[in-house]
Amino acid sequence: MNIIVATYLVYLAISIGLTVWVAQTLFKNGRVFLVDAFHGNEPLADSVNHLLVVGFYLINLGYVSLALEVGYEVSTARQSIEALSWKVGLVLLVLGGMHFFNLLIFSRMRRRSAIGNAPPPVGPDQYTVTREPETCAN
Amino acid sequence: MRKLTVLYDPECGLCRRVREWLIAQPKFVELAFVPVKSEEALFRYPRLNHELTQKDVTVIGDDGGVYWGPKAWLMCLWALKKYREWSYRLSSPELLPTTRRVVSMISQNRYRLEVLGRFS
Repeated sequence: MNIIVATYLVYLAISIGLTVWVAQTLFKNGRVFLVDAFHGNEPLADSVNHLLVVGFYLINLGYVSLALEVGYEVSTARQSIEALSWKVGLVLLVLGGMHFFNLLIFSRMRRRSAIGNAPPPVGPDQYTVTREPETCAN
Repeated sequence: MRKLTVLYDPECGLCRRVREWLIAQPKFVELAFVPVKSEEALFRYPRLNHELTQKDVTVIGDDGGVYWGPKAWLMCLWALKKYREWSYRLSSPELLPTTRRVVSMISQNRYRLEVLGRFS
């Protein structure tokens, strides 16, 4: 096994491992937000959670796959480690970006559902007696 | 709060236009519109100062809470799905004075604005 194949295999192992770890974190901890956003409707929250995680896997693994190729000759251990650190660094940044994007979606969903029950922005200037028009039959 | 009654001036084109816009918006809270000093308004709110309602838009909650002028505008925004967040933003301590100034400028000049915007 030459050094470039070893580099690719290590790259794949690290990237896929990181993707799985971040996705699991998202899956476990995002559920609470979603259950709250859907007013305790757990089946719906689980379904949306699952769909979000599938999208997360697809985008990240797609990126990992596209970014695999090293376009120059790798013949020494030093070059291999440098290539790896560059590739893994990019994967980490993409994962971080996707992770924050997902958090943004979670908090949006939660805020949107919370605002329907939010109290008025201001208090009344005074109170007055009210009569319903239906009661004015006479 | 599940329903807000808006006392509006049917003589003013701007007010009519705003009313149409409000009716078309998706809402969290139902909005009912009653012309100012109409028989219905006088019947439903017997203790209210109806001279004041003619000067500025008035919103009355189903709990009898009365909101005048700028507060009435904020309550209308609060009732709308798309603009509820704006009602909090515009009523924050930093923005409330500006909101008050703009709203009272608009209501004092509403008949003139009508000509400008050809609202009638």
